Amino acid sequence: MISFEHVTKTYKTGRSDEVVALKDVTIEVDRGEFVFVVGPSGSGKSTFMKLLTREIRPDRGDIHVAGKDLNTLRSWKLPALRRDIGYVFQDFKLLTNKSVYENVAFALEVIGMPASVIDARVPEVLELVDLTAKADAKPHELSGGQQQRVSIARAFVNQPPILLCDEPTGNLDPQTSIGIMKLLDRINRTNTTVVMATHDQHIVDSMRKRVIELSHGVVVRDQARGVYGYAN
Amino acid sequence: MRRWSYIFQEAGNGLVRNLWMTVAVVLSVTVSLALFGASVLLRQQIEKATDDWVGKIEVSVYLCDDSNCPAITEDQQDQLREELEANPLVDEVFYESKEAAYANFLEYYADLETMAQNVGPDTLPASFRIKLVDPNDAAALRAQYEARPGVEQIVDQQEVIEQFLNLASTVRWAALAIAAIQMLAATVLVANTVRVAAVARRDQTQIMKLVGASNWYVRLPFILEGTLAGLAGAVVAWALLAFSVPYLLDTLQDSLPFVPFLTNAQVLGVWPWLVVPGLAITSISSTVALWGFLDV
Repeated sequence: MISFEHVTKTYKTGRSDEVVALKDVTIEVDRGEFVFVVGPSGSGKSTFMKLLTREIRPDRGDIHVAGKDLNTLRSWKLPALRRDIGYVFQDFKLLTNKSVYENVAFALEVIGMPASVIDARVPEVLELVDLTAKADAKPHELSGGQQQRVSIARAFVNQPPILLCDEPTGNLDPQTSIGIMKLLDRINRTNTTVVMATHDQHIVDSMRKRVIELSHGVVVRDQARGVYGYAN
Repeated sequence: MRRWSYIFQEAGNGLVRNLWMTVAVVLSVTVSLALFGASVLLRQQIEKATDDWVGKIEVSVYLCDDSNCPAITEDQQDQLREELEANPLVDEVFYESKEAAYANFLEYYADLETMAQNVGPDTLPASFRIKLVDPNDAAALRAQYEARPGVEQIVDQQEVIEQFLNLASTVRWAALAIAAIQMLAATVLVANTVRVAAVARRDQTQIMKLVGASNWYVRLPFILEGTLAGLAGAVVAWALLAFSVPYLLDTLQDSLPFVPFLTNAQVLGVWPWLVVPGLAITSISSTVALWGFLDV
């Protein structure tokens, strides 16, 4: 589903200064896997996530996502790639002037889905994230955990094979975070690949899923049923 | 259907949200297109008048009547007429007597009483009115007959018309130049407005790109926003011309009864000259403003 082969990405910070964000990274993630990507700030987590959606391109190496070679993918086909990837942000990024229902429906409207599909899929996914009762509420009327569930509903409503979560519990308290993780686990059981970048040690330790640890742009650990570990 | 309703709705929302900016864009497009339309109409007017005149252009050979030179004798007059009629440059010759000249004068200047008072039945000279085969041969004809006894003056109407046409063309170029400058200002204003709108709705476009909306789906509302403002400007400019130009021409017609002016239908027919450049300029300017800005 996702493969990185010898991927290197550097950023220029000055005329001759470079920061290596990822160095010769090779990773393989299969369909239906749940993967934590851990590591301190600056370890290359964000770069890894941005490479997956081709917000940025690597200096060297091959990246394949959902059967697409990102090096040769034409830019007019990028929307097709993005439709295969649901994206969940740390800060939710909900549209404040739209209701819960409209925020989720928006993701289908703007890719040209017919009304019949929208009318069927949105209530279904709101049910999944347990927000049916809040369908008409505006984001500011919701708690942080509820807002993140709306954001997940929006990312998943198109049933993408891959869900990318960038610090999805970063703004939430531990109790609420557990609810979010249960939701992501449920989505993962529908054979959806979930990749989650996180700092949250408790969550990683309690889930016992695959852990990929990055440090200074290098994969220092790739462990099935792993724990957070790097602080120790 | 749903796509287009979204795109139009977004564009409409953007225009209302940014109301004063929209007003500025519409006004500046209006001014430039109204000037452009006026210059188009002026050109059509010149062509229409010229077409009409070319058929009627005459060379007037004024005959002496003792006021400035010794009066022409009957023999001289008959001979002049025969020679003119035989001249290969000449198509037709009419004789206009002093009485006929006075009657025509009164008819043309009926509403200008002071002029009529200063001109008596005897003031105006008799003349031969000559239609040339080619109106451009007037100078050759003048050279042939200017020195003839009994001929007071030979006047080529084409020279008079050319002076008028030169003036009209200067006015037209001035209007075009101002229209161009104003159009440039409108273009920059449209580009800026569209960019501001795109920045203001960045959160929305960011989501659209991440869920896989196509490039055009993200961009079109903004481009349409600029284009709708351009269309509005064109409509207002057309309304301005449709009201003011016929009124102006009516006023002119009163004092220039012999000039064929544009009809109201011809004035209203200027709309493609407003709508096409209005849409073209605003859509191009919006598209360029978003170039690379909303890229996926």
